[in-house]
Amino acid sequence: MLGYLARRVLMALVTIYVVVTISFYMVRLMPGNPMQYLEAQLQQQGGVSPDQIRQQVEAIYGVMPSGPLWKQYLTYVGNVFRGDFGDSMLNPGQGVLSIIASALPWTVILVGISLIISFVIGLVIGTILAAYPDSTFSKVMTGVVSFLSAVPNYLIAIVLIYLLADLNHLFPITGAYSNNTEPGFNLPFIGSVLYHAALPMAAYVIVSFGAWSLAMKGSVTTVLGADYVRAAEARGLGGRRVTQTYIGRNAMLPMITNLAVSVGYMFGGSVFIETYFSYPGLGFRLISAVNSRDYSLMMGCFILITIAVVVSNFVVDLIYPVVDPRILKPASRKSRLTAPPPQAELPGAEAMNA
Amino acid sequence: MEFLKDFWRILREDKPALVGGVVILVYVLVAIFGHFFAHVSDLPSGGQAYLGPSLDHPLGTDFLGNDTLSEIVIGTRPVMIVGVVSAVIVIFVGVVVGLFSGYVGGFLDGLIMRITDIFLTIPGLPLIIVIASIIHTTNPFVLAIILSVTAWAGLARAVRAQALSLRTSDFIDAAKVQNLPLTNLIGRQLLPNVGPYVAISFLLAVTGAIYAQVGLFVLGVAPVSGTNWGIMINLAMNQGALYTSRSMLYLFAPMAAIVLLQVALVYFSRALDKLFNPRLRVQ
Repeated sequence: MLGYLARRVLMALVTIYVVVTISFYMVRLMPGNPMQYLEAQLQQQGGVSPDQIRQQVEAIYGVMPSGPLWKQYLTYVGNVFRGDFGDSMLNPGQGVLSIIASALPWTVILVGISLIISFVIGLVIGTILAAYPDSTFSKVMTGVVSFLSAVPNYLIAIVLIYLLADLNHLFPITGAYSNNTEPGFNLPFIGSVLYHAALPMAAYVIVSFGAWSLAMKGSVTTVLGADYVRAAEARGLGGRRVTQTYIGRNAMLPMITNLAVSVGYMFGGSVFIETYFSYPGLGFRLISAVNSRDYSLMMGCFILITIAVVVSNFVVDLIYPVVDPRILKPASRKSRLTAPPPQAELPGAEAMNA
Repeated sequence: MEFLKDFWRILREDKPALVGGVVILVYVLVAIFGHFFAHVSDLPSGGQAYLGPSLDHPLGTDFLGNDTLSEIVIGTRPVMIVGVVSAVIVIFVGVVVGLFSGYVGGFLDGLIMRITDIFLTIPGLPLIIVIASIIHTTNPFVLAIILSVTAWAGLARAVRAQALSLRTSDFIDAAKVQNLPLTNLIGRQLLPNVGPYVAISFLLAVTGAIYAQVGLFVLGVAPVSGTNWGIMINLAMNQGALYTSRSMLYLFAPMAAIVLLQVALVYFSRALDKLFNPRLRVQ
């Protein structure tokens, strides 16, 4: 168990380190280096001495642009591991971390609730699809689900905005809450938050419940054909016992893993959906940083999103042996090698959140 | 050919897959020959903007007075090129890495898989957006490379798992006894056995690439120049398509084009799945 844990911790740290390295070199080594760009921009504006320019660049990127590359790199990595991502270019004087911290709750509210809703809907529909494959409901639903899972989420967002917000003015299309409510724990504010989140949530759920249903259907179908289910039935166990203890629990295994993995991708927010609804979450911040070439904010968002994914993958690794003890037994190594790892079971794990 | 006969039989039984195949064929033909029939200019043509559907303009015109249908036709080629090239890269890297890693085994396998795991963990879409915003390319091949930067990892893992189980099979032992080179072992012995899985992954990789690529254009992260469906949606949104019903067709036509292609690809890939996976046919 300890060895297993140590390996996972090491892997998580290495991944974060690689992502930090990638983002350092991406900003600095690409053609049209944004740091030089910023320097040139400041020089053009005039009225500032070269020293001031350097100071400003250093404040924004957290490193001296003039030093040797390896020194810049070490400073950058050190800063990031201390939680210092530099200042935002667009909002001078505001730290990247504080901007991200203010965006995070909105993403968690929006995507978290949508994730749970689509997960539950997916479980129910998936079970019905697997248990009664010949019913009319299943036939219609299979069509609907496979159609929806092929439709890009940003298109659903556009259609919803068009039909419900612009034509009929049923829902607001920007912001997370209305300006005339007082942020805090009071009823009008919470109501306003839910009201503003309704359309983006709907867009998210419509896009992702199909993938959950198909995953659950696959999972239940596999379990239905398993020998231990047949054995349980042969032993004369009641239908309810078989469904709940034998089928339900085993079919839930991969689903729980997928849910936990999705929680990580959740912090990436639904980039498209947040952008279209101008919902001030992490994904929205990422895109507005990209559009205004605010590289320090952009890289901060990207690194934080990755850390969230890494951490939740790590949590999955922690809970997985509890849910499925076979993982830790050496005898099961072979079956684990031939069977796809939990993350790979659902290629759409990220698609559900994109 | 026994294989084609089998395929045709399955397609005939599975009507959605058959329709999907035909739709894909039409898109491919449009992408290849569309430029002979349709023309789009960047200059505004006076008095032609926002026309409704008519015989001359079956889907109306856009804010510049261009025929929407022509733009859809012209826009097919860049979207398809990027989708297919990106899928080819994903498949090539994924299969080569997966087969090699699974076949070689040992320390090298462990190392390659750890690297693959890192790429699996990094959230793909944010990474693609970040890279695309820094590189800012109009070259379809560079765009395709950006789109495939993390997508190969999942395939590599799955292919490796299959290679691992194939490695101990008799025909590999037979090949080893004959002292065949490693390239032969991987290319001629292992590859045909993972072929079916690869074919399906190819179609799904195309859908993934088209999804991300159009998304980049819609968000305006990739440079808006030329004509493709994503740029059409982007321009329509920026011209206020959401606030006037006049440009509804201009906004929804490219969306319909994307959805139709994506759905066709998914349904067609299911027929392939059935063809290669006889167990599915019984169910």
